[in-house]
Amino acid sequence: MSRYDPLLSRTDERPDVSLRWDRDRPVAARRGDTVSLALLDAGALETSRSAKYRRPRGAFCLRGDCGTCLVRIDGLPNRRACTTVVRDGLQVQPQNRLVSGPDPSALIDTMMRGDMDHHHFMVRPRVVNQIMQGVARNLTGLGTLPDRAEPDAPARHEEHHPDVLVVGAGLAGRAAVEVLRAAGREVLWIDRLDRAGLVAQNDDDGLDGLCDQTGVFGVYPPERLWAAVTERPGEGAVLRSIAPRHVVVATGARDPTIPLPNNDRPGVVSARGLVEQLRRSGARLRAPAVVIGAGAHAQALARALDRPCIDPAAVERIEGSPVEAVRMRDGSACEARLVALAAPPAPAYELVRQAGASVRWDGHGFAIVRDQAGRCALGPWTVWAAGDVCGHQGLAAGDDGRRVAQALLAASSSSSALSPTP
Amino acid sequence: MSRRSFVCRCEDVTRSELEHAIELGLTDVEELKRYTGLGTGPCQGKECMSVLVSLLVDRGLADPGTVQPFTARPPTEPVTLGALASAAPRATQTKPQTRPQSKPQSGGTR
Repeated sequence: MSRYDPLLSRTDERPDVSLRWDRDRPVAARRGDTVSLALLDAGALETSRSAKYRRPRGAFCLRGDCGTCLVRIDGLPNRRACTTVVRDGLQVQPQNRLVSGPDPSALIDTMMRGDMDHHHFMVRPRVVNQIMQGVARNLTGLGTLPDRAEPDAPARHEEHHPDVLVVGAGLAGRAAVEVLRAAGREVLWIDRLDRAGLVAQNDDDGLDGLCDQTGVFGVYPPERLWAAVTERPGEGAVLRSIAPRHVVVATGARDPTIPLPNNDRPGVVSARGLVEQLRRSGARLRAPAVVIGAGAHAQALARALDRPCIDPAAVERIEGSPVEAVRMRDGSACEARLVALAAPPAPAYELVRQAGASVRWDGHGFAIVRDQAGRCALGPWTVWAAGDVCGHQGLAAGDDGRRVAQALLAASSSSSALSPTP
Repeated sequence: MSRRSFVCRCEDVTRSELEHAIELGLTDVEELKRYTGLGTGPCQGKECMSVLVSLLVDRGLADPGTVQPFTARPPTEPVTLGALASAAPRATQTKPQTRPQSKPQSGGTR
């Protein structure tokens, strides 16, 4: 199998759009694919060089959480390949590398067998430090400025004063919105992913009235604001200042890495993200691949990918760049062009913690602490948490969302009818 | 290429670098973040935080009942400066004005 053999097989074998990868290489894709999926299909896995050791890197989480699928798209740097939908003629360029092909800065990784402690590395003598400051520090951030200062369309600002803001359109968010709407409550419902990405996560599509591709990026209690930005292809960005009375946070859970030797190689991806990307594009794995993980969550993802599941404790290291195999502790090797990591999901607590909620370690990540009804923070608003953000629940997240929405209704039915919207 | 096990891929922090920092006596999430740079890259700890805390809890260096992550600050999702600027009052577009900085949230001292 050559380096650029397709890693996936498609139900529709005829591509209908094409992007240009790394200046001149045409990559065939289907309308609706993400850039990451198209690149992965084409075996173009290396999207950047790492900050310190200058190692090759590629997309990992495939669901908008990690930071290593950032590429330059149509002249704009630092765009997430995993959430950008392919358009015909899109120019996609790797970032943060010196030259195309073998990168001389990769010698840092080869020559430095041990660790680099930047508190002591090349600090003295002073002349060495000056070289380090001038050269080594600039190896990070080779990314150049955008081709143009002006975006395609100017950004707009909109203010919202909804009765209830629901963040997240997974199982918990969908169930909560259904209950709230049935009770006649005014809901602003947002999710950072696009509709196709959400449909790929959960079979039922029930996403009417969702404001998609809208990421909540901050909570500002003194200003009484939840701040979000909507970015859709071909449209100007919309900044949203949201002043809700109630907030239901159903931001789900993220996929952590598993610290195995060479777990950073291009071709090492999150199993859940891979399953969702394949579903979204109606694609199947063609290439040899393995899932690394333990427990029912990993087993389910391995079944979805129809690939073997290996316990992390049995793995010696990942080999090749992009990956070629997984070497086992017993000396055997599993051929793999993709290695899918399936660690237990860790709650996406960051946003609701900004709103004042507490978190506790649940063995896999930091879960939101809430009262019996589902409340987790008070302030200018009442914040409710539902679903995986309170600890991984899987399919039970829908029931949790429904229950929390009913508790919200019970707690606020009398006051909401009387007091005006702020 | 060397074999390295990464905990934080954004800032290239390996497991053995964390072990080195732990040997120096740094065992707190905040201390380890400051010393190694873990969690300070584009993902802001979304991929590595739980891996770090698992490592500390497994070694008995953190109490699972009380351990806390470092403070999550905006922006938790990417936003362009252009989009942020769209919220500026009209007056600031022609004449720069200074605006008092918002105070940090209560409880988020780190």
